[in-house]
Amino acid sequence: MKFLSVFKDLNLRDKGAEFWENSSPTKRKVIATSLVGLAALLPFMGVGILDTPVSDYGAVLVYPVGMFILMALGLNIVVGKSGLLDLGYVAFFAIGAYTMAILGTHTSLNTWEIMPIGIALAMLAGFILGLPALRLRGDYLAIVTLGFGEIVRISALNTKAIGGPNGIANIPVPPSIGPIKFNLNDQKAYFWVVLIMILLTIWMIRRLSVRRAGRAWEAIRQDEDVAELMGVNTLRYKLWSFSLGAAIGGAAGVLYGSKTLFIAPEMFTLNVSILILACVVFGGMGNIWGVMVGAAILAYLPERIRFISDARLFVFGLALVITMNFRPDGILPRKKREKVIVKKVSN
Amino acid sequence: MSKVLLELKDLTIKFGGVTALNGVNLKIHEGEILALIGPNGAGKTTVFNVVTGVYQPTSGEVLLHGKSLKGVKRFNITKMGIARTFQNIRLFGDMTALENVITGTDVHKKSGLLGGLFGLPRARREEQAGRDKAHQILEFIGIDEYSDRLARNLPYGVQRRLEIARALGTEPKLIMLDEPAAGFNPAEKVELAKTIKKIRDAGYTVLLIEHDMSLIMGISDRVAVLDFGQKIADDLPTVVQNDQRVIEAYLGVPSDAS
Amino acid sequence: MFDTLIDQFWSLTLSGIALGFIYVLVSLGYTMVYGVLRMINFANSEIFMFGTFATIIISRDFLGNVDGSKTLPLPKLLLTISLCLIGSMIVSGLVAVFVELVAYRRLRARGTNKLATLISAIGISIVLSEFMRMITHSRPTLNPRILEKKSLFEIAGANFRIDTVLTIVFAAVLFFVLDRFVKFSRLGRAIRAVSMNEDASKLMGIDLNRVISATFLIGGMMSGAAAFFYTLTYENTKFNVGFTLGLAAFTAAVIGGIGNIRGAFFGGLSLGLVEVYASAVLGTQWKSVTVFVILVLVLVVKPSGIFGEAVQQTRA
Repeated sequence: MKFLSVFKDLNLRDKGAEFWENSSPTKRKVIATSLVGLAALLPFMGVGILDTPVSDYGAVLVYPVGMFILMALGLNIVVGKSGLLDLGYVAFFAIGAYTMAILGTHTSLNTWEIMPIGIALAMLAGFILGLPALRLRGDYLAIVTLGFGEIVRISALNTKAIGGPNGIANIPVPPSIGPIKFNLNDQKAYFWVVLIMILLTIWMIRRLSVRRAGRAWEAIRQDEDVAELMGVNTLRYKLWSFSLGAAIGGAAGVLYGSKTLFIAPEMFTLNVSILILACVVFGGMGNIWGVMVGAAILAYLPERIRFISDARLFVFGLALVITMNFRPDGILPRKKREKVIVKKVSN
Repeated sequence: MSKVLLELKDLTIKFGGVTALNGVNLKIHEGEILALIGPNGAGKTTVFNVVTGVYQPTSGEVLLHGKSLKGVKRFNITKMGIARTFQNIRLFGDMTALENVITGTDVHKKSGLLGGLFGLPRARREEQAGRDKAHQILEFIGIDEYSDRLARNLPYGVQRRLEIARALGTEPKLIMLDEPAAGFNPAEKVELAKTIKKIRDAGYTVLLIEHDMSLIMGISDRVAVLDFGQKIADDLPTVVQNDQRVIEAYLGVPSDAS
Repeated sequence: MFDTLIDQFWSLTLSGIALGFIYVLVSLGYTMVYGVLRMINFANSEIFMFGTFATIIISRDFLGNVDGSKTLPLPKLLLTISLCLIGSMIVSGLVAVFVELVAYRRLRARGTNKLATLISAIGISIVLSEFMRMITHSRPTLNPRILEKKSLFEIAGANFRIDTVLTIVFAAVLFFVLDRFVKFSRLGRAIRAVSMNEDASKLMGIDLNRVISATFLIGGMMSGAAAFFYTLTYENTKFNVGFTLGLAAFTAAVIGGIGNIRGAFFGGLSLGLVEVYASAVLGTQWKSVTVFVILVLVLVVKPSGIFGEAVQQTRA
């Protein structure tokens, strides 16, 4: 593990943040706009080095890359920000996807109209699970959420009305937005939607991080008992964390349903939760840039290298063990550095 | 004497077979510095833990302004005006000093998560007010220069003081300090004594656990002594100092042997 | 709906007890590790899974029991049973020690937070099950029959089959031995000392790493024994066999009060019974749902378990 220690002193995250803070507002706007622009152009860069021999590049960008980033950001609120280990994240993804599938095939609602419903149902599920589960500590929460993820899958498997093991087919694609059409052969439009969802999520996380909610989560993660003694309503903020994470999982699920056009219970196994958890952990718990880089790498590599694609989960499991043992903060760790140099030190 | 702020009424707490507190009665008056002393294991920190709702008393009760705290959630006790520090420092290490104090001020904010997310006027106002107040408190405690440093990188003495600042952030009526001078050198202790007096003079009531006798005698208005979970003295510092039972408790000498 | 339950009550009770004993043994893996580490051994289900494969490999490949149509001749049968049981216990025990070494030890030495250790443990659990999935190509592996499931006797409609009786008798004996061992042996006392107070036992000169390794080893061996009885009864296994069984055994440990060895006994048996009864009423497809609901109920209503010590320890 020698090579990892090279990174130890090189804290990219801090360097980046420093650069950002030293930039003028105009410069910041330019940087942000060009980054988003660059990301939006990704579907056109499928030739050469970025191309994926295993599967279609344009599709890979949407799923797994974009979706994983989105879900990893959502799970990061729960695991990274608040320190709550949620192993049932797939359940919210599944609830979103099933909402899309059921309403999309039985009603005349379109994807955009179903989106808020899917999000609301996922949040509700998060709330219902969280109310008892979040009273428990650490490992118990992990095992209860793990069980919950399985329950949702088993219930879908055994409920005839929603297709049982056969799932639901013929889910409609989203309606066009102006000239932009959604179709499976050219998934640029999907990618742009995912990108917008990612940007919204980043906005939300960045915003909340510096507000009361962010401080409450941070306090809970670091020392829950003290947080409560300092007046933080820990259960309430844990529930918020859980429900917001669920909301993002649900949103990803709705879009996923409207993209694969066919869903079945076997798509929503514990493995998905583990994959997303690996993305969060590998990239750097609690740091949105780290999480995105981690998710991008872990989602992209298996599509690029066939060996990893066969042994994907094995590699992800290994990533969890190795990261935790040798670099527990991930590739891009959370804030280590202090914002302003101390003005005067008296002692 | 002024009004009673906090009252412990016949407080008993047992852990399994061990009685940590046994029928303790104690009144804390508004605006005083009350020192709680006693040998190790006498039950001092247990008093803090019962008052802040960490432990539920086996019998007896805690009254704040005459109202029982029985069954009140811990964060609500803080909201009602009781804040504390910890014997072994328990700051939020990954937050800056300022953020630690702002977290304390959050307890009285009315705007919640959604207000913060959508930047509603009240949330913005409260956020700014909290920030200003936190700076004021750090200034008051004399550590504002460290406001942007991560708590865990701060020097030990500053961390101890930051714990006090964080507690003050919750705008308590009663602030409970658990061995705030632990590990301090004499000069730092003098400094701390001044700070504690300043806190009292600013209108807070202080309940203090401390081992350093000269510090206690210098600043306390009253001293209560615990021994084996029972209160054995409660009086002016000078009186307690000469109390035979207190001397015995500390020296471990039975009275007829002396 | 309740007809099956009433008609076959005694027969169901018997299979519930047999299943319960398998849970008892596996839940010991959880409960003992929890006792010393205050942490769930997430990889215990994989430790069990390796035991099932060890049983099959020993019986099928080493001893050449491939025919599977009838009971083996008695000497060979006894040899197979004892070798498989011991082999399975050794393999599971060693896997458990390996898990501790790879996933827990380094993190413990550094004193990292619980979350990191949990994630590391989940990681190793995935690695183990994926390893087996890849080499078995996700297919179930059959264990050729070594003993015909003949009925020994029948009481009130409950059919005492030879494998059921073997499981119950052996598991009960193993449990008894373990209980005595932890009570009276030197190592057992050390394990209990660490469970009660880690810091104090360190001061008393107990080698913490050794005790923790030993706890994983013993817990793993119990899961390995369970794996043998499981394979004997169900005659096949798969890379993910430990998942639902692990969740159930963990639930059993929680019912009994996690960390409490005798609690695991009652927890395992009561869960085995409840699961079998519930399956008779609701259908087997809802089996794991029932188990999960029980787990949540116990954790929420009485987190200390029915026989146990407090789980939610608040320190302040």
